[in-house]
Amino acid sequence: MLFDEGPANTLNYMIAGYAVFFTAMIFYLASLLMRYRNLKQDLEVLEEIELHDEPKS
Amino acid sequence: MDKPIVRNEVSAFSSIRSFSSAVWAVVWKDLSAELRSRELISAMLVFALLVILIFNFALELDAKTRGTVTAGVLWVTFAFAGTLGLNRSMAMEKDRGCLDGLLLTPVDRSAIYFGKAIGNLFFMLLVEAIVLPVYSVLYSTNLFKPGLLLVILLGSIGYVAVGTLLSAMAVQTRTRDILLPILLFPLVVPVMIAAVKSSSAFLEGGAMADIWPWLNLLIVYDVIFTAVAFMVFDYVVEE
Amino acid sequence: MEAKPRGLKILEAVTVVLFLISLWMVFFYAPVEKVMGEVQRVFYYHVATAWVGMLGFGVALVAGIAYLRTSKRKWDIVGLAAVEISLVFFFITILMGSIWARPIWNAWWTWDPRLTTATIVELVYAAYLLLRQGIEDPDRRARFGAVYAILGFISVPLTFLSIRIFRTIHPVVIGNSDPTATGNFDMTSKMLQTFLYGLFTFSVIFATLLWHRIRLGWLADKVEQLRLKTSE
Repeated sequence: MLFDEGPANTLNYMIAGYAVFFTAMIFYLASLLMRYRNLKQDLEVLEEIELHDEPKS
Repeated sequence: MDKPIVRNEVSAFSSIRSFSSAVWAVVWKDLSAELRSRELISAMLVFALLVILIFNFALELDAKTRGTVTAGVLWVTFAFAGTLGLNRSMAMEKDRGCLDGLLLTPVDRSAIYFGKAIGNLFFMLLVEAIVLPVYSVLYSTNLFKPGLLLVILLGSIGYVAVGTLLSAMAVQTRTRDILLPILLFPLVVPVMIAAVKSSSAFLEGGAMADIWPWLNLLIVYDVIFTAVAFMVFDYVVEE
Repeated sequence: MEAKPRGLKILEAVTVVLFLISLWMVFFYAPVEKVMGEVQRVFYYHVATAWVGMLGFGVALVAGIAYLRTSKRKWDIVGLAAVEISLVFFFITILMGSIWARPIWNAWWTWDPRLTTATIVELVYAAYLLLRQGIEDPDRRARFGAVYAILGFISVPLTFLSIRIFRTIHPVVIGNSDPTATGNFDMTSKMLQTFLYGLFTFSVIFATLLWHRIRLGWLADKVEQLRLKTSE
């Protein structure tokens, strides 16, 4: 009977599966963080420009 | 003080009679324009025939495999030629300023949708009507089975219902032509699967009991998406 | 909107705790499956991420309808956030599904209804993002996005149905399951608990990520408006 042999050794696949999960999550969180930082910077630059524009208009 | 008089043009004009006359006006505009220039049909037709030719070399269409593969080849051809037609139909509308002109008329927007959709359907059916005999002759297969014709009609309706709406969106973007297939194909998967399976079954003389689920799926799809497109078209063409 | 709201900080902390518990359950609490072995554990997060994917689509649908009716920016931002997150999670679902399939069915891909539908939904998400990319005007971008999200959502059950009528070898985990069929397995109560807890945890993870992505969306919106203003 199949069950006498015990479960198949699929540990590597499980590790691969979870590696995919964690890698993807880390990449996405990193992307969120980077985009947030970039936008914050852009905002500062633009607010500076706006400040300088106002006396002219 | 006098109350401001609000002329409710919309209620005056959107009676059913004027709705359908608006629809047929759009259809007639497209048909007569096409009758004169024949741009659309010739492009779609040449393209479809080229696709079939390519399939001849790409796949081993010997007598045996032909039976199983015909439905797939036909529907891939129709899908690609259909995309071409949808794109060009909307593009011509936009480029010639017809779309803006139509939008200025005090008619329900969805009349424009139905008009374009019926026009597109007509062109697609016309191309299919020509491709079928050509394919039959080239591969000595009799494709004139009534069941197959029904499937082609139902499938084309679903395809055009969604395609017309999406092409109205795609034509207003920067990426235009490339975008329509990207938007369209994931949504018409049910049509493709149902059309190919039922076409195949009709061609090989399968049991009606097996075919009914596919036909039902096509009908449900057609009804749902025509209704949704009708409801949503306004939002796609408003300025 | 500048500083992280307190609610979000609490939610983050809660999410981390829930997630750690979930990990413990998946790797230690749940037993090893008799036939498949360790790879079966992949199933818990494979389904949980799919669940998030569908949740996101539902949120995108609601946000789409809401935007069309109210024309309020916030709905567009919510819709985009939901689609983006779902894109990531469905991607994980598909890859984990593929990895699970390999030792069980000896193939990297199985054209079964659920996995195939997930892939098509993924393509719908990608199309949604491409559509938005091609439009400059924010209102039109939002409207078209909303329309496509609605169309996409409606097509999914039909797609799933059509593929299911077409073929199936995906294990039926809940309900009718034949344990001798390859790939199927009976869930013991510990497995069921781990599975359900996983769904719960991921719902919370989704909420947290959605909140973060919405904040990002508001910031992007502000930057875009300012950019348009200063370029006049």
